Amino acid sequence: MASNDDGSPGLFHTMGESLLGMAETAGGMGVLFGRILARLARLRFDGAEFMRSMYKMGVKSIPIVIVTALFTGGIMVIQAAPIVKRYGAQGLLGWGAGFGTLREIGPLLTALMLSGRVGANNTAELGTMVVTEQIDALRALAIDPISFLIAPRFLAFILTLFFSTLYADALALLGAAYAGKGLLDVEPSVFYNGLTSGLLSFSDVGVGLIKSVVFGIIMALASCHFGLAVKGGAPGVGRAVNATVVASAAGIFVLDYFVSFGIS
Amino acid sequence: MSSAGSADQGAQDGEAPPQELGLVGEIGATALDLFDGARGMYSVLVRTLYYTAYGRREPGSTVHYMYEIGNKSLFFLTVVMGFIGMILVYQAGVQAKRVIPDLTLLGATYLELLIRDLAASIGALMLATRVGAGIAAEIGSMVVTEQTDALRMCAADPIDYLIKPRFFASIVMTTALIIWSAAVAFTSGMLTAYSFFEVAPRTFCNLSLIDKGDLIVGLSKCVAYGAAIPIVSGYCGLSTFGGSEGVGWATTRAVVNSSLAVIILNFFISGAGIFLFP
Repeated sequence: MASNDDGSPGLFHTMGESLLGMAETAGGMGVLFGRILARLARLRFDGAEFMRSMYKMGVKSIPIVIVTALFTGGIMVIQAAPIVKRYGAQGLLGWGAGFGTLREIGPLLTALMLSGRVGANNTAELGTMVVTEQIDALRALAIDPISFLIAPRFLAFILTLFFSTLYADALALLGAAYAGKGLLDVEPSVFYNGLTSGLLSFSDVGVGLIKSVVFGIIMALASCHFGLAVKGGAPGVGRAVNATVVASAAGIFVLDYFVSFGIS
Repeated sequence: MSSAGSADQGAQDGEAPPQELGLVGEIGATALDLFDGARGMYSVLVRTLYYTAYGRREPGSTVHYMYEIGNKSLFFLTVVMGFIGMILVYQAGVQAKRVIPDLTLLGATYLELLIRDLAASIGALMLATRVGAGIAAEIGSMVVTEQTDALRMCAADPIDYLIKPRFFASIVMTTALIIWSAAVAFTSGMLTAYSFFEVAPRTFCNLSLIDKGDLIVGLSKCVAYGAAIPIVSGYCGLSTFGGSEGVGWATTRAVVNSSLAVIILNFFISGAGIFLFP
């Protein structure tokens, strides 16, 4: 049944269409990834644009990372509080919060916040350039848009996410230590003892950082791909930003699952 | 006086004046920006509530937005929450085994956490990106193409026409979607526990730790997030200025601000929950 009686597409038609759409997106992102890697491998990307992107993506995101990380640390302790009280395991609070933050919540929430702050912003910028034909102007001047615009942003995005995660981990643990003091009367020194007593190792930090790099790759690809694929004026830019955040969020969670199982 | 001229230019373009402000000036400018934003959102919230009481009744458009916000997010949310459930139970199981070898309470603790916090917060973060970006992009494009000005010319407040139906639709559908996503995350967690740690589903489905407080905290989070997302992103959409770049900016701000709103509301509601239902 290709269509309903009133001529609107039927269920299978819609399913097939969305499947083809997904395949097109995945293919487009794969091709873009290959092109970016080819430029990066030969070090053919614009250094000034890279520094500008690092400033715009990294330095400008610091406030939002600080707020998110401190609140996240507090929330971790609030949620752990009933369990800690039930078992009287004050000494394990540092371990529990540290483990959860370093392995999962730190990389995940940093990635989600930066997907809004950096990924969506990048899509909007590239989309505006496409709509106002600036990319075509670059091509007309024989400047490769990928090595001039895309590859530097790609690299800057991944580095931003990596360093922000490192930073957010530390701040979230700080927030958790003081929330523990306020809510559960666990001294910060007991909390830090729980962190360093040997139940956690460098591998916990390392797994989180590997995750942040993987998330960075998928988010940078999604934001550049949808930005370059904008069609149709201002509403098109809005739709592209929407598609970027949805694809980034879905990609982050799906990859989180595979990374968690792959290296645990 | 060329600097004053350029400052005027900047003010006319709606940008910050370009001269150096110094540290105190920067802090002051940021504080003023935050204050302006908070006042704008408060005004949108108050006007939405006003029109809820005295505005037009249009069930048709509320139902339309319920479909847009709810049904169209269902697939996305199901995929994300399914994966989240598997990750959480797997990580928790691996860690818990190091300390206590007995995993019989894994399911009960997981369900309590899910209802109290994780289902609502992670689900709402996903909705903040999906729904918030959609609302801001739609309203932002209307602002840029002067459709909201046309509404005002017809003596219709855009908040009554555009934000109020989305506000209702979002509160109802966020609650429904979060209950669904808790069910999805619990089921995928149960399957993970069964296949990796051999916890029988019958042991995993343990409701003994759930009490009234958990349900009240979880449901009030649903309502708070559902109300916050359309207000914050509607405000960002309505304050759009300047072409397609402006729409992009508005969408970005909507995603960032509604995610932040979710995280901050979570902190306060969880804190209140701890004191009210210890």
